[in-house]
Amino acid sequence: MIEVKALKKSFRAITALDGIDFVARDGQVTGLIGPNGAGKTTALRIIYSVMRPNGGSVHVDGYDATRERRRVQQRIGVLPDGRGLYPRLTAREHIRYFGRLHGLGGNDLEQRMGHLADVLGMEEFIDRRAKGFSKGQTRKVALARALVHEPHNLLLDEPTNGLDIDSSRSVHRLIRSIRDQGRCVLFCSHIMSEVARICDRIVVIAHGRIAAEGTVPELMAATGQDNLEDVMLALTGSKEGA
Amino acid sequence: MWRRISIVLNKEVIDNARDRRSLLMALIYPLMGPLLLALMIYAIDKVVVTGGADNSLTLHIQGAEHAPELINWLSAHGHTVIPAPADAEAAVRDGDIEVAIVIPATFEDMFVAETTAPISVLVNTSRLTGLITINRVGSILSSFNTEIWGQRIARKGVAFRSLQPLDVNHVNVSSGTHIADILLIMVPPLFIFNLFMGGTYLAIDTTSGERERGSLEPLLINPIERWELVGGKFLAALFYTAIAVLVQLLALKGAFSLGGGENLSFNRTLSWQAIFNIMVLTLPLMMAAVSVQFIIATMTRSFKEAQTYLGLLPLVPAIPGMLLVYAPVKAEAWMMSIPTFSQTLLLGEVLRGDPLPMLHVALSMATTLALAMVLLFIATRLYEREELIFGS
Repeated sequence: MIEVKALKKSFRAITALDGIDFVARDGQVTGLIGPNGAGKTTALRIIYSVMRPNGGSVHVDGYDATRERRRVQQRIGVLPDGRGLYPRLTAREHIRYFGRLHGLGGNDLEQRMGHLADVLGMEEFIDRRAKGFSKGQTRKVALARALVHEPHNLLLDEPTNGLDIDSSRSVHRLIRSIRDQGRCVLFCSHIMSEVARICDRIVVIAHGRIAAEGTVPELMAATGQDNLEDVMLALTGSKEGA
Repeated sequence: MWRRISIVLNKEVIDNARDRRSLLMALIYPLMGPLLLALMIYAIDKVVVTGGADNSLTLHIQGAEHAPELINWLSAHGHTVIPAPADAEAAVRDGDIEVAIVIPATFEDMFVAETTAPISVLVNTSRLTGLITINRVGSILSSFNTEIWGQRIARKGVAFRSLQPLDVNHVNVSSGTHIADILLIMVPPLFIFNLFMGGTYLAIDTTSGERERGSLEPLLINPIERWELVGGKFLAALFYTAIAVLVQLLALKGAFSLGGGENLSFNRTLSWQAIFNIMVLTLPLMMAAVSVQFIIATMTRSFKEAQTYLGLLPLVPAIPGMLLVYAPVKAEAWMMSIPTFSQTLLLGEVLRGDPLPMLHVALSMATTLALAMVLLFIATRLYEREELIFGS
């Protein structure tokens, strides 16, 4: 479970987050949506502890993201916006590197890698070096290294951006199965149809504040719109991100 | 802690072992200096040392049949006479042969008639390597001249010896030792330059390179302290630097023994023990060099920017060594507190085979190690800034 309270962050004169509160519960997929520059990526970066907030707090499974950084990072798996690979390492070596940094090793790690390769359909390129990987292959490796330690909380920033339909669907299936195991998924996307399909709850963020929060039907009822794109526009007053 | 550091170290070493540019920096670049030095030692040995020694010459002579007496005399003095090419002038001009002697057909009659007989020596003074040969041919011909002149005047009843107050003998006692000393002074700046070069590529690749590839942010999300990450990457770059330094020392050893041969005193100066001593002695400097590389590569915005700065970096610490080439100084204790300068001086002493004062070694290692630790601390602090992921 991820709990964000009164989170504030500014870069010099620019206020990126102006006191946001939300909770991403276990057993749910929580969608974090908003126009470009709304503060989604900054919020994620504070949650996964590569940035410190100017105010407020983030707790992951009860651990403070600022004071107990390593504990938090042990409990999360992240597909961040930047998801580059090492061109000279194979897909398997990428996953193994991150697995080992999470304290895994030996047979256990090799088995998990085999399982992930199976679930994500990576067998064909798992022992190839990453140089020249397609967008889809790169995404799968990045996902696999985020999942190798079986984190209780999963943070995904645009996981299907640029993927073909087939690959997108397999990512959706994976997200649902993780949710059904009672784990927590925080999901950022610009594709509203995707958000509507897989998110249980939605947090709309605009100009560094929470604009609305609820299930898709709740948001539709509150705004009087009948699809999520229009809900977004009504809530944020922006055509961007729709 | 060590486990996580070693995971990062392991990954970076393997990753960069697969990179042509890293290997070039660690294995090929260090060979350049010693190669150049070997060529210089070889050339100087051939031209200056053996070139001046009193041994036989091979003379290219055109019209040898016109001067049997001269030819016999040359052979008797251990020189080899072979016919010059038909176009002797062109052969000398093109450098095919250094000197040619041309004896005209009129030589024999005039020589027998005991008048002054003409003889031409074709030389090309624009070719440096020929200068010593030109000198020697001149001196050989003048010896012959003196001897014939002495015989002729003796037949007229004059004591030849009384007309020659001086009997000048040129004895070349060069063993190359002094030249070796001069060349040895050039080794420390080469060494320091290489030391600051060896890990550059890895330092850039694992910092600004990692950021540019977008692999830095995912890496930072792992439960590992920033200083542990820096530690692993630092050790990997240190490993590559040490390899570059070792490769250069081995190449120097090779250059000294191949290029110098038995003549020069290089062989003794770079023993296995000396190589080991140099590695230990300069380890703190390697640590400082890698730390500086990390600081620069972390602060710069892009791979290219880092490459530009780090390409210039090795010149700065090599400057003291370069100045010492022109104005050698005697090592004193206070100099040992200046990193890069102290190593330059100590390296010179190892190469000359002088004993190393323990106080100097301890001072040099301690002060440079302290500097390295401060720099590494700064590098770690820079790595902890959250701006790291944006690169500003």
